[in-house]
Amino acid sequence: MTGPRPFDRILIANRGEIAVRVIRACREMGIESVAVYSDADARALHTTLADVAIRIGPPQAIDSYLSIDALLSAARQAGAQAVHPGYGFLSENADFASACKTAGLTFIGPPPEAIEGMGSKIAARRVAVEAGVPVVPGETPTDQSDDAIVDAARRVGFPVLLKPSEGGGGIGMKTARNDRDLIKTIAQARREALAAFGDGTLYVERLIEKPRHIEFQILADHHGHVVHLFERECSIQRRHQKVIEESPSPAVTPSLRQRMGAAAVAVARKAGYRNAGTVEFLVEGNGDSARFYFLEMNTRLQVEHPVTEQVTGVDLVRAQIGVAGGRDLPWTQEDLSQRGHAIELRIYAEDPARQDLPQAGTLLLYREPSMPGIRIDSGVTEGSEVAVYYDPLLVKLIASGETRDTARARALAAIRSYPILGIRTNIPLLIELLEHPKFVSGNIDTGLLDADGDAIRARLSSSPSPEVVAVAAAARAARPSATTRTSAAGAANIDPWSSLRGARV
Amino acid sequence: MSSSDDPTEVVPLGNGRYQVTRGTKRTIAFAVAGRDTWVFLDGRTSIVSDTPDGSPRRSRVDEQGALTAPMPATVLKINATTGQLVKRNDVVMVLEAMKMELPIRSPRDGVVKAIRCEAGELVQPGTTLLELEDDPSTLREPQGRPEQGRGTTSSGSPEQRRGVRK
Repeated sequence: MTGPRPFDRILIANRGEIAVRVIRACREMGIESVAVYSDADARALHTTLADVAIRIGPPQAIDSYLSIDALLSAARQAGAQAVHPGYGFLSENADFASACKTAGLTFIGPPPEAIEGMGSKIAARRVAVEAGVPVVPGETPTDQSDDAIVDAARRVGFPVLLKPSEGGGGIGMKTARNDRDLIKTIAQARREALAAFGDGTLYVERLIEKPRHIEFQILADHHGHVVHLFERECSIQRRHQKVIEESPSPAVTPSLRQRMGAAAVAVARKAGYRNAGTVEFLVEGNGDSARFYFLEMNTRLQVEHPVTEQVTGVDLVRAQIGVAGGRDLPWTQEDLSQRGHAIELRIYAEDPARQDLPQAGTLLLYREPSMPGIRIDSGVTEGSEVAVYYDPLLVKLIASGETRDTARARALAAIRSYPILGIRTNIPLLIELLEHPKFVSGNIDTGLLDADGDAIRARLSSSPSPEVVAVAAAARAARPSATTRTSAAGAANIDPWSSLRGARV
Repeated sequence: MSSSDDPTEVVPLGNGRYQVTRGTKRTIAFAVAGRDTWVFLDGRTSIVSDTPDGSPRRSRVDEQGALTAPMPATVLKINATTGQLVKRNDVVMVLEAMKMELPIRSPRDGVVKAIRCEAGELVQPGTTLLELEDDPSTLREPQGRPEQGRGTTSSGSPEQRRGVRK
């Protein structure tokens, strides 16, 4: 990927850490970055970092980050030549990809036909079957009535998962173990599918018990080259949302890796895929005899792409931009290798001691750790406002090392030195997970947090230690006459910075 | 090593950093004092409240029977109407925040006196969502009433509080 830059100016149709990630790649490549922001993000990190920032609407995503008109008009206004969709929002929306094309913009992702084809679970399965790759039993009933969905579940076999047919990322997925469970769940599943994806159509799938969730990164250019960049293990999930990812997977043997990699490439070829994508598999069993099933293909850059970058040395965002600009992939499959180990921790604004209740507020203090083998992909900084409108992912911490043990030790050391004050985060849960005997041994499946979650969470609430109380007292004593100001104001939402500002000015 | 008899010494290092020494054990902590004091020590974040009971803000029913929002959220759906009889654990409304649905359940049997929010509205923590009063038809049987509505949180049991991640 050498030669002149593929574009002069790229609009990033996203927010948060992924927008920041793409802005940084643009800057390295000498490309101007155009951020878009809603009113809730006027001072967000991505808005302030980009070369150009354009307001696209009110806080509600439907009128801003999900508004194709607003995004295209921003691209026109900024004179952008290409659009990077990030993940989530419109990244897997074929209409958006088509609209970009019609507007003369390069969509940095797969062609609309591939998004359409792989976005529908039925079509994606057909592609996998045609490519000779095994699939998990499941169907989207044409009749979407409650009765027909129950019938479908009986055909597929309980326990089942109900998923939005148009969805992804674990959003809106429900488990049902029998008819009664299922009937109770359908209405909510439908509502959530409609709210998240604008389509209430449900897909019914057999739930594979104790599976591992292993996915393969692929990259395809416009000249017929398709490669895979090995696997990511994404088995640590809570309610089908990933929490910790790593590469390589402790469970994948060289022979299994070779077979799964070839299957991923076959699916991508069959789909006519271009750019970066991920082929997800469920894996049952262990060793060379493990069975894998094609689950779905994500037609976008993944949240967990950094673990692949850390072990392969490939910059996936740069590769995406290069491929979109018509470049050849600069490597063959034989050129690519996995070296060392990488673990990604997702830091969410939610309270693990209270059923992961989302948190909102101001980051009063935020200090990123800096130490060997640590990469931080952040969407926030000290003083950032965390709003309720968007996904609670704040930051990804990626630890790398020569071995899994080293990467794990580095992840632990870094997360323990990562103060984020002003809102609660899931950091205590991440620490518990990194220290969990099953995680330490690598013996993980997607049910770990469901099975041991209560025991893990029970350790999270404890009364403040004498040290904590002493530090709190010191901090209160150091507060410049804030006690009197705060109590005099008597208001419910005193921003501690306002009193500091008052003292300075 | 430190023991419980060791005094704790805290030295401010500036910019929110504190050196904590207990016995021979030294650690760096971070803290910000606002309305509450936030402390980060060894991966744990604690909120030390200035109020004596130290109770966190959450959705709760106060003595007047007002149900309040536990967090900033959008009102997704209101299931109850003014004057309606509700049973304990009935989902009276559904809030949404960060792609999660959060059912708000009635903490007790009663009658909806007033609804203080609208579907689609953004509510802040502590905003009154709904007011409950006792069912007049049960007023003649006062036994058990003194306990009602006191200290009951609408986000009481873990099961009730469980949000649904979309």
